[in-house]
Amino acid sequence: MTPPLAMSYVLTWLVLMVFLALTVGSSYIAMGPWNTAINMGISCAKAALIALFFMHLRGAGALLRIAALAGLLWLALLFGLGWSDFGTRSISPAAWSR
Amino acid sequence: MPTAQFDSTLERREASLLGMWAFLATEVMFFGPLFFGYWHGRLYQPDAFVAGSHHMHIVLGTLNTALLMTSSLTMALAVRAAQHGRPLRTWLGLTALLGLAFLGIKATEWLMEFGDAANASGGEARFYFLYYAMTGLHAVHLTVGVGVVAWLWMHARRFNAAYHAPVEVSGLYWHFVDIVWVFLYPMFYLLERYR
Repeated sequence: MTPPLAMSYVLTWLVLMVFLALTVGSSYIAMGPWNTAINMGISCAKAALIALFFMHLRGAGALLRIAALAGLLWLALLFGLGWSDFGTRSISPAAWSR
Repeated sequence: MPTAQFDSTLERREASLLGMWAFLATEVMFFGPLFFGYWHGRLYQPDAFVAGSHHMHIVLGTLNTALLMTSSLTMALAVRAAQHGRPLRTWLGLTALLGLAFLGIKATEWLMEFGDAANASGGEARFYFLYYAMTGLHAVHLTVGVGVVAWLWMHARRFNAAYHAPVEVSGLYWHFVDIVWVFLYPMFYLLERYR
């Protein structure tokens, strides 16, 4: 694999900066729950850019891609199991947390 | 020639990268519960989280985000320089300095917010707890990163086009720490700023 051009890193950085401007700008426009959705969407896009270009996942083999996704898969499983608990029960605070 | 346990230099290179990606997967698990705690609080105590977020210094936070993303660029360029066997000390030095600048600004913010945090109660106290725990854990990781980059800088002469795995692997770690911040920034600084 030949290493990517320096220009591709600079372009990635420029797009990251544009995303940063978008995420700050959008948070000053009232959109209710969409503000959070947009902010998290932009964060995911930034993370994907960093992983694909700076961390070279774009040119990586299957082994590295699977290893990179393994952590996210487990996180998704544990978030899913966690929410299935908190999301389906009402909270009764303990005496000390009332 | 690679040592006996590898069939090729390519396999050896992939083994070191795989090791770091496996470690980063455990790091995702390490940060995961704090993220879960945050989103639980955000859902059940949304107003307190918005109130807490409005005490954050958005200019410093945004500047820090830009600094850290720029440090990822200089780290990527350091790895690229190493891959081509070119001098990499300038890029490593810039990366470490940007990391230190981030830590300095972060420490200043912590001190500025401490009064508000100490007097907070209920959901807002929870917001501050998560803020200090998550940005603190992130700063610990970044401090380790600055140490690793300083070590690479000291040993920069060892690396060449054929051997630069430590630089590549440290780069992966640095970018991971950047990604964590990419999520922390909107979670703590950008809640209902339009109010």
